[in-house]
Amino acid sequence: MLLAPEDLKAVLEVALEGGGDFAEIFLERRRTTGITCEDNKIERVHSGLDQGAGIRVIRGENTVYGYTNEITRESLLETAREVGKAVGGRGTKPQIRWQQPEPQWDFRVKKRPDGVPVEEKVALVRRANEAARAVDERIVQVSVAYGDVIQEVTIANSEGVLVEDERIRCRFMVNAVASNGKIIQTGYESAGGLMGLELFEENDPAELAKKAAERAVRMLEARPAPAGRMTVVMAGEAGGTMIHEACGHGLEADLVQKQLSVYAGKKGQQVASPLITVIDDATIPGKYGSFRFDDEGRPGQRTVLIKDGILQDYMYDYLTARKEGRSSTGNGRRESYKDRPIPRMTNTFIAPGRDDPQAIIRETPKGLLVKRMGGGQVNTTNGDFVFDVAEGYLIENGQVGPAVRGATLTGNGPEVLKMVDRVGSDLGFSLGTCGKDGQGVPVGDAQPTIRIPEMVVGGILEEEGEN
Amino acid sequence: MDYRLAAEKYLALAREVVEKAARGGAEAEAYIIAGEDLNIEIREQEVEALTTARERGLGLRVIGNGRVGFAYTTDFSAGALEETVEQARANAARATPDEHNCLPLPADYPHLDLFDPQIEDTPLKDKIELAKEIERQARSADGRVKITESCSYSDSRYVVAVANSRGVAATYYGANCGASIFVVAVEGEESQTGFGLAYSLKIADLDPARIGREGASRAVRLLGAKRIPTQRAPVIFDPYVTVNFLGVLAPALAADAVQKGKSLFRGKVGERVASAVVHIIDDGRRAGGLASAPFDGEGVPTQRTILVEGGVLRGFLHNTYTAAREGVSSTGNGSRGSFKATPEVGTTNLYLEAGDRKPEELVREVSRGLYVTDVLGMHTANPISGDFSVGVMGLWIENGEFAGPVRGVAIAGNIIGLLQSIEAVGSDLTFFGATGAPSIRIAGMSISGS
Repeated sequence: MLLAPEDLKAVLEVALEGGGDFAEIFLERRRTTGITCEDNKIERVHSGLDQGAGIRVIRGENTVYGYTNEITRESLLETAREVGKAVGGRGTKPQIRWQQPEPQWDFRVKKRPDGVPVEEKVALVRRANEAARAVDERIVQVSVAYGDVIQEVTIANSEGVLVEDERIRCRFMVNAVASNGKIIQTGYESAGGLMGLELFEENDPAELAKKAAERAVRMLEARPAPAGRMTVVMAGEAGGTMIHEACGHGLEADLVQKQLSVYAGKKGQQVASPLITVIDDATIPGKYGSFRFDDEGRPGQRTVLIKDGILQDYMYDYLTARKEGRSSTGNGRRESYKDRPIPRMTNTFIAPGRDDPQAIIRETPKGLLVKRMGGGQVNTTNGDFVFDVAEGYLIENGQVGPAVRGATLTGNGPEVLKMVDRVGSDLGFSLGTCGKDGQGVPVGDAQPTIRIPEMVVGGILEEEGEN
Repeated sequence: MDYRLAAEKYLALAREVVEKAARGGAEAEAYIIAGEDLNIEIREQEVEALTTARERGLGLRVIGNGRVGFAYTTDFSAGALEETVEQARANAARATPDEHNCLPLPADYPHLDLFDPQIEDTPLKDKIELAKEIERQARSADGRVKITESCSYSDSRYVVAVANSRGVAATYYGANCGASIFVVAVEGEESQTGFGLAYSLKIADLDPARIGREGASRAVRLLGAKRIPTQRAPVIFDPYVTVNFLGVLAPALAADAVQKGKSLFRGKVGERVASAVVHIIDDGRRAGGLASAPFDGEGVPTQRTILVEGGVLRGFLHNTYTAAREGVSSTGNGSRGSFKATPEVGTTNLYLEAGDRKPEELVREVSRGLYVTDVLGMHTANPISGDFSVGVMGLWIENGEFAGPVRGVAIAGNIIGLLQSIEAVGSDLTFFGATGAPSIRIAGMSISGS
């Protein structure tokens, strides 16, 4: 524990002296390792320690938050006093009785990063670098990054929640650059999860590297994507960016309560095709967005957001749940002790359907096949979203045709989800760091192969050629 | 906090750590940043959240036999600092040697006006009032502005100290502040968002009326947005959109990207890379610049560097490593995202120089085209290939006049093609944080619609 329970209690008591009705302390000690290889050189071997504590006091709907790097009883009492005073009102003396919630699931890290010598991690990075470069002579640059994080947290609040947890995550990224002398294209692959170096038992660094390099080379030969409206098939292996942008953010309760979401006030209504079921699940073993407890000490859970097209629930943290007199869905997350928790996704996915993924392509006369998605962004207020196609192909007469590059798909979340007419039986995961209000948190996204009859593809008009 | 005193204290600590880390012939560099932050969030004239912070950290770089190791800590206890020294030294042993890894020598630094005492001295209640006034201005500007997405004031005050084993021992302190509002305008079933913001080194420069009204106007003018057919037409970017594109271009102007074959501009110094009306400058000393500082993250003096002049590429931005590799001098662009990272090559105050055309003129000369005021998915643009395809919103232009808002469209192309087809540059240079640009007009672009 990063601070003794009696000290935590003292800090929470002082925090409430100023008149708040809820106080919380989040202590964190984060140790990281980062290794990068670029230009055939191990350029960076970094290690770091970042520790600190954030104290939150709530009064009604108003929040005061303070943080410091100094985890000592004295420094925390001082921060608690300052934060508590700023909320205003008449002080209370809480009776705190600790209760330690049980997680809904558990797991063991098999190969802790702090038990693996740095040389072994460096060797993984080197292996990926060599594998990518061996793919094709047009690969002009490869960068490989390995990162691990051991985050110890202690979370305590004036309602008696006391949680101690350790989150271990590993991540591996390969970015390959290919050039034919005229144009440059890139290919990216990554793997990561809430786990130790057992990550590499199922994800061979050399295989990831090969895939990234092959994509970069393939995209050199791709023609510019066409522009206009067309049928889009998203392969399961494309990743889940679409669902994350098209509806995930709009189902976060803070945005809903502020009327900043197109899904506000639509619980119980049909918001998507009856083929669509959307789930947020923090309890999938090993996924990048998984956790035992969220950053407010609430056990991570599985929440059905949309069932057969009907909106079931939003994602809540403590504060948004309190405003509605209900309980949190365990989606209260924060980037670090420097941030207030807000409702965030964990692993969000469209549940698999019944169609054979291959048949979906076969039965599409003309369209765009998205084999891999890149990043995306959404305007939650009106539901308009955009995401990048990292690897795309034209579909011609039910066959996968030539590769296209530089496409973006633009659409409106509710409109697109209502249009989906085929849902495959497969499910492909991707991982990323999701940004909201300036905070980045690890998330997983997934979806089966799906077909959308009409979407706007942002590409190049044919007569322009290679502008 | 007494910043002058803190600066001395942290510089002494940095020197102490360097001394320990440099034993046995290694070179070492310690970088410390410490500061205090304030953030106030307002909604419906109430303080929804108030955040105060005290933060500090130390990053330590060790170079032994051309190998670089790095470690950082926020724990300044003797034990933690000792561990940081050992880790940085051990990490160095595992890196690939490179003879160009080196640290800079001491130099003379300019004196810049970076610390406005008013930022610290203004009482909290006045800062809260400033933020509330922004919201009042936005809401009263137009009755259709119905929701405040966020409205905030923030400031930070900080001390930086850098010391290295070659004699660099430098420190400065500064402060900055900013305010912003994001609002939603509602009409019938339709909602549109808009923002207004300002960042400055001086609190007196923050004008709540201007910020609030800007936010309202950006949202309201998009109400009634329609889709347009796919076509090719002239496009005007307002300063905010131009700044977004400049951000995609910036990595290609860094020497490390060039040296690694990841820059579009590789081998093009002295060549025409943009239309003749384009001038791009990075100025680390610009008066009032958000990123202005006497020295960069390695203790190298900052400077004004002309990158593109009259459309011709003049050079790249360097840190100490990339400069050594090419046998040139660092341009003072050794930038550190935080104490947690080694100095990479980064921009300071980067801007596209203002032209002599009034922004209204740029619009008046277009018979049919798109005036872009917002982009969606800018981060999906690929800075290495230069390919971009982004969602945009804005106003349709018909016979030199605005003819109604547009949504649900995307524009695509390559950044090089875009630079070459800039036909006019406005006089309205505006900074958003440390990056600035005026309005620009592009001769013709692919617009994907329905």
